[in-house]
Amino acid sequence: MKVPFLVIGGGLSGLAAAIRFARFNPEVLLLEKHSRIGGLNSYFYRNNRIFETGLHAITNYADAGNRRAPLNRLLRQLKFNRDHLDIHQQICSEIVFKGVESLLFSNDFMLIKDEIASKFPRSSDGFDRLVSLLDSFDPFTIAPFRSARLFLLDILPDRLLVDMLLCPLMYYGSSVEDDMDLSQFAIMFRSIFQEGMFRPGGSIKTLLDRLLDHYRGLGGSIRTSAGVREILHDGRKVQGVVLTTGETIHCGSILSTIGLDETLALLHRPPLSSDSTRLGFVETIYQIQTCRGPTLPTDRTIIFFNNSESFRYRRPDQAVDFSSGVICLPSNFAGLQATTTKEVRSTHLASYEQWQTIAADRQAYESLKTQTAERSRLVLEDIVGNFGQAIVFQDTFTPLTIERYTAKKEGAIYGNPQKIKDGDLGYDNLFLAGTDQGFLGIVGSMLSGVSMVNQHILNKF
Amino acid sequence: MTREDIKTLILEIIHDIDDEADFDDLDPDKPLRDQLDLDSMDFLDIVMELRKRHQLQIPESDYPRLATLNSCADYLEPLLQDA
Repeated sequence: MKVPFLVIGGGLSGLAAAIRFARFNPEVLLLEKHSRIGGLNSYFYRNNRIFETGLHAITNYADAGNRRAPLNRLLRQLKFNRDHLDIHQQICSEIVFKGVESLLFSNDFMLIKDEIASKFPRSSDGFDRLVSLLDSFDPFTIAPFRSARLFLLDILPDRLLVDMLLCPLMYYGSSVEDDMDLSQFAIMFRSIFQEGMFRPGGSIKTLLDRLLDHYRGLGGSIRTSAGVREILHDGRKVQGVVLTTGETIHCGSILSTIGLDETLALLHRPPLSSDSTRLGFVETIYQIQTCRGPTLPTDRTIIFFNNSESFRYRRPDQAVDFSSGVICLPSNFAGLQATTTKEVRSTHLASYEQWQTIAADRQAYESLKTQTAERSRLVLEDIVGNFGQAIVFQDTFTPLTIERYTAKKEGAIYGNPQKIKDGDLGYDNLFLAGTDQGFLGIVGSMLSGVSMVNQHILNKF
Repeated sequence: MTREDIKTLILEIIHDIDDEADFDDLDPDKPLRDQLDLDSMDFLDIVMELRKRHQLQIPESDYPRLATLNSCADYLEPLLQDA
């Protein structure tokens, strides 16, 4: 079998790349290792219900008329109808540093601007200066790592404000400990604070199904449960892949979206960055029965919190660092229908190594998962009120769960701290897209797939 | 194809990219990108559509020659004379 273009990985960047190519040439094959597509943003069934694996919110909200906004550029590039997104905007989100300060933000940028002006008056001018500096900054120019933290400390006199601004941006996309690359910061600042957040009306499955229908409608092919064992190459050019079943597929070009080290492993090459720390996370989903009366807030969509004196965004020494995290209330997006159950989701930083060590003892691992869900609930209840009495189902994903289902090394959802921004892996016809190319979030990773196809693949046909 | 056919083809392709594009005040000697607010990704779509519809391989170094509606006609006329 031979195909002109092969995409490895059926996550959102791979899907977008495959759709982009199929628009002009249907001879493209998308390979997904798992039985379902979606990668980090997939779904599963438990307790007679569908649950999303990763989705809190989609960033980069933009009105339909704003042609230059990343979301609308993406939709044009894919020829994917905006109505298919079934957009529901966030109501209001908050950054809460316990006992110290809180900041509200929404899809109206004026809200956070006003919050900063009233709560951090010394930094108000600095914040305006930050916004205008970012406006003229091109985050897509390829440049070496530059510390966003140092950049911010230089502009904003309130150290606390720097931490509070970094907290949501790190939790939603930093693969680096206690800092972010300035380019990454600029992209995320725009995606989250200046543009904002939304979610699709149904589950992520509806969106994935629509993308897949669109792809098939253009003539593209997909194979699920099709893991790649190795990429065939001569050091300069790739010729194809061998699947775990032993089947060989020859191809003209390959775009890999499975991660940098993960791709190098398929080429039988050593990882580029064995010494850098990957950030793992634990996530717990609590399914709540609405009629049992928990008084959860209805006016907060996502809450980013920190309870410790200094905000830490790094791999903890223990299995989980409960001192900070993210709370998502997925029913609090505008215009969603009321349901008999709703969800509360929590995210904290976690240590892959600690979880891996304990996993040797199955019982201890399960018990640590239960303890984690309990501890996390207590931390959350302190912020959103009690809901423990109304839980009908709960499930916890550890870094091991994430690694198993997404094949992301060490369950690090934001991938390798080192990014390959131009997608160039040193081969004539093999390129990298997705998380390790450096664009994050659903819109970002999809644009990554599109732009790598535009830059490296389309001109070869 | 005549020059007029080529211009119609280009506008058709642009309409396909952006169905709200407004061609009423389009100046055929001014850059399409500025007048219709097309970005580089949209522009690539024009090139790709020409390839898909007429098997035209336009090298990247020739992209500037597709800047205005009239320059498109100048450039494409000899290439599409039998189309």
